[in-house]
Amino acid sequence: MKISMAIQSLRRSLLPGTARSPPSLSSFPKLSGFAVSASVRPRAIVAASAAPGWRTGERTRRWGGFCSGNSEHDKALGSCFYSNGGAASSNYGGCSYLELSDEGLMKQCEMGTFKTSGPGGQHRNKRESAVRLKHIPTGIIAQAVEDRSQHKNRASALLRLRTLLALKVRNAVNLEAYSPPKELLQILPLKSTVRGSDCGPQIGPNNPKFMLGVQALLDLLSAFEGSVSEAAKLLGLSTGALSRLILSDDSLRLAVNELRASKGLKPLK
Amino acid sequence: MKPTVRPSFVRAWPCIASDFSTFFLRLPPPPLAHARNIAQIRHRRIHSSLSPPPPPPLLASSPPSVPPPLFLRPPKYTTTVADLLEWHSWAKSLAASVGSSFEDSDNGPDSRLLCRELNWLMEDVLDGFDPSLMHKAVARDDPDVIVSSRADVQELYRLWKQRIEERRPFQYIVGCEHWRDLILCVREGVLIPRPETEIIVDLVGDVISKDQGLREGLWADLGTGSGAIAIGIAKILGDYGSVIATDLSPVAIQVASFNVERYSLQEKIEVREGSWLDPLKGVEGKVAGLVSNPPYIPSDDIGGLQAEVGRHEPRLALDGGAEGMDDLLHLCNGAASMLKPGSFFAFETNGEKQCKFLVDYMQNQLPGSFCNVNTASDFAGTQRFVTGFRNG
Repeated sequence: MKISMAIQSLRRSLLPGTARSPPSLSSFPKLSGFAVSASVRPRAIVAASAAPGWRTGERTRRWGGFCSGNSEHDKALGSCFYSNGGAASSNYGGCSYLELSDEGLMKQCEMGTFKTSGPGGQHRNKRESAVRLKHIPTGIIAQAVEDRSQHKNRASALLRLRTLLALKVRNAVNLEAYSPPKELLQILPLKSTVRGSDCGPQIGPNNPKFMLGVQALLDLLSAFEGSVSEAAKLLGLSTGALSRLILSDDSLRLAVNELRASKGLKPLK
Repeated sequence: MKPTVRPSFVRAWPCIASDFSTFFLRLPPPPLAHARNIAQIRHRRIHSSLSPPPPPPLLASSPPSVPPPLFLRPPKYTTTVADLLEWHSWAKSLAASVGSSFEDSDNGPDSRLLCRELNWLMEDVLDGFDPSLMHKAVARDDPDVIVSSRADVQELYRLWKQRIEERRPFQYIVGCEHWRDLILCVREGVLIPRPETEIIVDLVGDVISKDQGLREGLWADLGTGSGAIAIGIAKILGDYGSVIATDLSPVAIQVASFNVERYSLQEKIEVREGSWLDPLKGVEGKVAGLVSNPPYIPSDDIGGLQAEVGRHEPRLALDGGAEGMDDLLHLCNGAASMLKPGSFFAFETNGEKQCKFLVDYMQNQLPGSFCNVNTASDFAGTQRFVTGFRNG
């Protein structure tokens, strides 16, 4: 009995329960105050709330030195994450932040660390190497605290920022001349009738490219005012199949339901 | 083929040497002379007007045996998931019992941070931290799965007790600190590198990206401790330049040498023992860049430090004399004679007050020596660094 309780406890701490919901910043109790405001509406630029507790150094650290690092943290880096970004650009009205390289994206960010109480430096040993990135153009804030070095936390925060950008920033879609971008086709189930065989296997939530597809899907749903059935028609899927895709990922489900709520539609369940 | 243990490893972690030697091969017991420089250390701060209160009895000063960093030990132990979980849940409740009491008393870690450390400890202890293995066992409710581990469970109990009850720093428990993209080995007697100090390497990166001459030059990290800054700089210098890393503490010399070798930078970084600028004899006027994170805490503040710092880290690396400026001023006064025209320097300080004082001092008391003397902030927004260039 004791063991199974211990297992439960370890499961909670070891299993990345938040694995597929990186933006659920509320899982860091102290940080929940910085999470992107839930009242954000698609198409609207996210307004940043003041972030008490954070300070940003006057100096923005150069990202280059980080990216060119060689070694132990490379796997945590998403440096070749969005290398195929260009393909989708013709479908997007506005600029797509996700197509930027890490360095390019970082240039648009202001970086802060935890506000430290007291003098810091040699006085302090708290391993709070938390990092907070504020994306200036949108005001979106992403942060990471759980890694051991600031470098790794910066990489994690940047990945989270990409997720948040995908979920929160809407690009206009021209429905008249719409053809689904490849990123979107790749996350659709194989039975989609518009999905060519050249799309390869279905990309799931664990693949970093999933978020590019999510962004395109949300853009489309937003153009359809949250209607899953309309979007499903265009994507060659049944409404049920598209709903299942949406429900398969927590962050996608939440974003879709937020969109639907703003249009007075019932949430998907 | 026999695996070998590098000599620097034996010097830096004497007692593992025997541990490893039984594991890998037989080595003669390493000769060690910790005591030899004690007198020198004690008399180093001749400029201090106030003699500091006697340091607290340091577990830190020279422990009889220093086990190797956990992540470098061979995974020679095996344990069941059940035993590990039992330890983990004990450790977690011990951490939880701390609540915010450390934070309230001396701004130490709260239980949330301690729990995070506990996960990092697991990372280092479990062989490669194969989460899938743990996950599978947990998911199957199969507590008898065997996992291999770098420490035996009894040691884990002992280590976590030290963490909570003695406030022994987490980095000394695991024997390393993650700093920039490096994993640096540390142990008692060596300052644990701080995240703030990472910026010094970035400052150097900015400078060498604009000046190839500096990139190709000789750099010096004075009071290198674990070797953090020297290694960080050596890596961004790439194929160019070289670094001299100095420290007064023989323990720091051992640990820095070990870290330098672990990153295969022996050709690039020369580790020299001695006080501040003394080991730079022979390169006067030739140094392209001088950096240091010297002790800068005012002596009176040492007693009130967070227990992890004040009780366990070397006072030699923290106590900067009455105003905390003894060593900084010593460096400023000596820097000009080492630096060549157009060369760069960066020093870490206690904050705005020391920064301003130093900028003023260099401009007014050392006129003509330096130019473009400025301060730079750390990521918490505190003015932390003084930088500038040698005139010429």
